[in-house]
Amino acid sequence: MKKKDIEIVAYKCKKCGKLHFPFHDRCMECKSREFEPVKPQGDVRLLTFTRIYNLPWGFDARYLIIGVGEFENGVRAMGRIDVDESYPLKTGMTLKPVWAPVRVKYGENVYGLMFEPKG
Amino acid sequence: MAIDMELEVVLRPHQYEMPPYPPKVITLANGKKMVVRQAEREDVPAILKSVHPCLFIERDYYDIVSARLYGELLAWYRYRVKSEYVIMGQVDGFLVGIVNGRMETEKIGMSYHTLAIDRGLRIGSHLFAAKMEYHLEYLNQEEVLIVAESPIGFRRWMIEYPLEPTKIPHELGGGDSYLLTREIYFKAKPRLVVGERPVPADLWEVATREIKFADDDTIREQIAGLKGR
Amino acid sequence: MGVGMIPFGRRDEDSLMDMLAWAGLKALDDAGLGDGGVDALYVANMGSGIIQHQTSVASALVDRLSLLPAGAESIENGPASGASAIKNGLLAIASGYYDTVLVVGGEKMREVTGWRATDFVATMTHPTAEYVYGITLPGLAGMFTRLYMEKYGVTREMLVSISIKNQAMGTLNPYAHVEMALSKDGIFDDPAAIVNNPPAADPLHLYDACPVSDGAAAVVLTALDKVKKPSKPPVVIAGFGQATDTHTLQERADPTDLKAVTLAAQQAFERAKLKPTDIHVAELHDAFTILEIAESEHVGFFKKGEGGKAALAGKTKLGGQIPINLSGGLKARGHPVGATGVAQVVDIVWQLRHELPKERQVKNAQNGLTVNFGGFGNNVLAFVLRRVQE
Repeated sequence: MKKKDIEIVAYKCKKCGKLHFPFHDRCMECKSREFEPVKPQGDVRLLTFTRIYNLPWGFDARYLIIGVGEFENGVRAMGRIDVDESYPLKTGMTLKPVWAPVRVKYGENVYGLMFEPKG
Repeated sequence: MAIDMELEVVLRPHQYEMPPYPPKVITLANGKKMVVRQAEREDVPAILKSVHPCLFIERDYYDIVSARLYGELLAWYRYRVKSEYVIMGQVDGFLVGIVNGRMETEKIGMSYHTLAIDRGLRIGSHLFAAKMEYHLEYLNQEEVLIVAESPIGFRRWMIEYPLEPTKIPHELGGGDSYLLTREIYFKAKPRLVVGERPVPADLWEVATREIKFADDDTIREQIAGLKGR
Repeated sequence: MGVGMIPFGRRDEDSLMDMLAWAGLKALDDAGLGDGGVDALYVANMGSGIIQHQTSVASALVDRLSLLPAGAESIENGPASGASAIKNGLLAIASGYYDTVLVVGGEKMREVTGWRATDFVATMTHPTAEYVYGITLPGLAGMFTRLYMEKYGVTREMLVSISIKNQAMGTLNPYAHVEMALSKDGIFDDPAAIVNNPPAADPLHLYDACPVSDGAAAVVLTALDKVKKPSKPPVVIAGFGQATDTHTLQERADPTDLKAVTLAAQQAFERAKLKPTDIHVAELHDAFTILEIAESEHVGFFKKGEGGKAALAGKTKLGGQIPINLSGGLKARGHPVGATGVAQVVDIVWQLRHELPKERQVKNAQNGLTVNFGGFGNNVLAFVLRRVQE
């Protein structure tokens, strides 16, 4: 179920090099429209996180843990953190990214970014 | 009404030995102290006065919960139910919530109902936790069967503990029961079961002197929403 | 020229259209237009299409209020819909094409369960980069709060002081959804606080978040030079500002920097030719207690990192250096999303007209500020309001 290949594509402006994720039609810095695709590389540094106890419709769980992480090549993305609520998460810690089911919609798994403890 | 005691022996179900629930006091979000204590059978006619106005409130399934609770309280009072208990919450002597349940067997409990008369203070959560505490720590049972009529109950119990779904039918024909085991209870206890014992003497005196009941209009207004506290 | 609102809360018996109409009528009556008309109607609402399965509510309301053939538009800008609708009304009048407009904001969120209401609000987030993960607005606020605490030393005690202040004010406001005073013991110090005030999206707890509410509020705007003999002290929107920021939290270089709040407030002050120190009373967007602290800093009332300490020291209470959210804020007044931006202006107008009971009235208030925070700070509007001197 878990995949190593992270199916996220970030976009690097060909003119000024600014990295974007999610997609923008024009570069946030120089307004250029030409980008090269960049795959997130390496492990993730956890920038911030939260344990959510009042869930939206569509989740069969008591809580969700969600964070924003930064990959080694600078791509930043939100993902689910696959740990128990008592796990001692800290901002700045390193986690491993995987591509895994993050919710179920109309009976089908929806894949997304998940962060796991290293080792 | 004349009661034939020879017939009563046949009509009354067996009662298990039930150690009393030790009372406790809980600080609520508005700073008030809720005394949580077990009711006596003799308290039932007065308790029914607070349950009665709820019979006509559709909001949040108060009508069905209080209708079923009313029957359960009356059954307890008239010796027509096996090993039932009732635990109450009181603030300044006023009844603010009632929970009840019974011993299905020595080891399996059945949670009946939870009625919060004062809302917005997690009284239902506190009293539900108190009755689970009673089943698992004082009646020494292994598990408790639980059902919910309202989405609020579903959220507070089935999701927050969380409870295990079963295929065991609801006693009154509703959705299947859920199960609270000792394992789930003790894991959830630090975040869901609170309160201090013993109850300070002054609070105990007020709570036991008289069970006060708000008038029907106040009860209806309190159940209708958070107002004026 | 006129303001009105209906009590916020859980209004099971009232439809969205009922609430919008009643608030609209109150504002029209307050403006002396009870049997009159307006040039245009703007309706602020975020969720009618999803929750009520009804769209084009402005077209429905203009007819229901018999305001035909006035122009009418529905304005949707998430939780900043209210301020956006007022901004559009203001620009219409400033253009000279319209003389008088009615702006009504309303929302009926309690028609669905809490899970569905939470999901509806979450539709503001980025569909593939955020929403898919089950993120909620409290979740974004929780992540923001963690960073703000780490960077500026904001403590839970500071957040709790805001909950207590705003809920205390709510008990004095007959329009407030929540009229229940909190005790620090019950929600923070006592061991029972773990049940009374459990984590919602940590480090935020239940009482750090506003309730889900139904309600509506309305204002009548007109050009000042068209007002001949005002029956009440006129209040003008002396300045407005609006700014946007990245859709996702992750694309902000410093996610604790609410750039859109800073810019929107700066624009409003510049246009009003006033400074933060000229403001006597403010309604800030405290959907989460952290936001009252953060906004009080970003608009310039306090330096960065000082807002929490100021709140703890009582500087934002009535009688303090800068009273904030004397209505109870979103925390206690409630947050029917489309209504909020309009309700903030209604409350400030009451303050500047000196119409409120003394336990909520800032003495001799002349200038007020509102901040309406859309998305998670990606679309923010600010108004500076001023009492017109006779």
